[in-house]
Amino acid sequence: MMVIDKLAYSSSLRYKSPMLKSAFSVGSLLICVGARSFIVSVIILAVMAGLTVLSSKISILRYLKLMFIPFGFMVLSTIAIVVNITDWPMDLVSVPIGNKFLAISSYSLTEGARLVAVALASVSCLYFLTLTTSMLDILSVLKKLRCPKIMMELMMLIYRYIFVILDMAVAITTSQNCRLGNKDFMTELRSIGQMLAVLLIRSLKKSSLLFDSMESRCYDGEINVLSEHYPAQKRETIGVAGFLVSMLAIAVLL
Amino acid sequence: MNESMTDSHDIILKLVHVCYTYDDGTEALKGIDLQVRRGEKLAIMGANGSGKSTLFLTLNGIHKPSKGNVLYNNVPVDYSRKGLLALRKKIGIVFQDPDNQLFSASVTQEISFGALNLGLSEKEARERVEKVIEELNITSFRDKPTHFLSGGQKKRVSIADILVMDPEIIIFDEPAAALDPKHARMIDEIIDRLSEKGITVILSTHDVNRAFLWADRVILMDEGLIVTEGTPDEIFANDEMLLQTNLEKPTVLKIFKSLCEAGVLDKKLPIPHAADELEQYIREVTK
Repeated sequence: MMVIDKLAYSSSLRYKSPMLKSAFSVGSLLICVGARSFIVSVIILAVMAGLTVLSSKISILRYLKLMFIPFGFMVLSTIAIVVNITDWPMDLVSVPIGNKFLAISSYSLTEGARLVAVALASVSCLYFLTLTTSMLDILSVLKKLRCPKIMMELMMLIYRYIFVILDMAVAITTSQNCRLGNKDFMTELRSIGQMLAVLLIRSLKKSSLLFDSMESRCYDGEINVLSEHYPAQKRETIGVAGFLVSMLAIAVLL
Repeated sequence: MNESMTDSHDIILKLVHVCYTYDDGTEALKGIDLQVRRGEKLAIMGANGSGKSTLFLTLNGIHKPSKGNVLYNNVPVDYSRKGLLALRKKIGIVFQDPDNQLFSASVTQEISFGALNLGLSEKEARERVEKVIEELNITSFRDKPTHFLSGGQKKRVSIADILVMDPEIIIFDEPAAALDPKHARMIDEIIDRLSEKGITVILSTHDVNRAFLWADRVILMDEGLIVTEGTPDEIFANDEMLLQTNLEKPTVLKIFKSLCEAGVLDKKLPIPHAADELEQYIREVTK
């Protein structure tokens, strides 16, 4: 997660309109899932992967590694669809087990391939958004979509404090390990427990200090902040609209 | 200073026998009498746990004194919601650990919070934020998320947080804590500029050399009480008090004193506060 966060800030598409990027990503995702078409999925996957790799300057290998994270789940669920237990032998592979067959039909194989393509393409849409758009910009999109204020404020504080609390956790663990807190499994478990306990206490203390400091700046129950504007260029908007319409057209025509 | 010598108009903040006890029964302040003059540079010194931070939170109404009174511009503080907001518009605190102050991952959002809380329009707030970003040299890292900033950069953002509200008094809680010398110097320069603009600056520090050089007045605190106050010259000449509060004599003063005793320098020379001034004295006699 930290890696993705870092990459989002260094992407060359970072300052492009977050609204447009979200529309591009979520729009493609919806078409992809709605159409369930192999060809549409492959085109979307290629476009998303290409844009993400080029804009984030990450290596293709690293991108593949990121794609590999959900791949494991996908393979498991696809096996269940490709391989069937049937009463009759199927056209591709049939392994008799008792009076039943463990079988793969050409239909189930294409179905499986289509499922993998749709899933990978969907994941690539979300990776495009998270690897080119910082959490802050995603929040600004949610704000424009009139997401409830309390949720926005919570997301903002949680996002900021993930890093503060993570730093604390790392510091405590390091100091424990310097004193052999990880010498064997049982000691390590105990260390983790103590670390979490201290972390909770410190987080509570930090939250009360933060509240004092916000009160000092005239906090009156509502967090109002200025957000950055990155307006969309006409050309970019036309490009995104064109892409979405043509994907939709292919999906409908095929 | 003699009471009759100060016009009451010059007193921006006044504490009359202020006591504060935490919910757990800890008596953090045990009767503080203090007058802060408009435009003054006030250094507050004292060991950890002597009540400096509690005092600061009492000054802007985060803590309500359990006994005694706080007067801002000779008017007792109104502890209603409205009264407190009015007070906090005028008194800003830069907290010691920026991680307890920066709540947003975006530098601009973070700085704009105080400005918008003043009730400014979005346009005005944006102008003020831009001005402060320029003034504190934040431009080069303004687009970085706060969790990627260095300690010194975070500190500058936390000062911008307060400056954007244009307060009359700014309180710094150990501004140089955990900073490298370069950033500590940068923060010192920022504080000097604030004083030049006429803003009243109150800061707590453990650095006797800094307090000796910078302050108009030094206050020594111990166990929730002000043990002594005076000009840096008065405070740091008082060996007995320094011993009691575990403070060293400033290096420049120490060397000046021993050079005087050794007969190298004339005792009647004005007391030097900066190392440069002392060097100048030595250069003149050895010429």
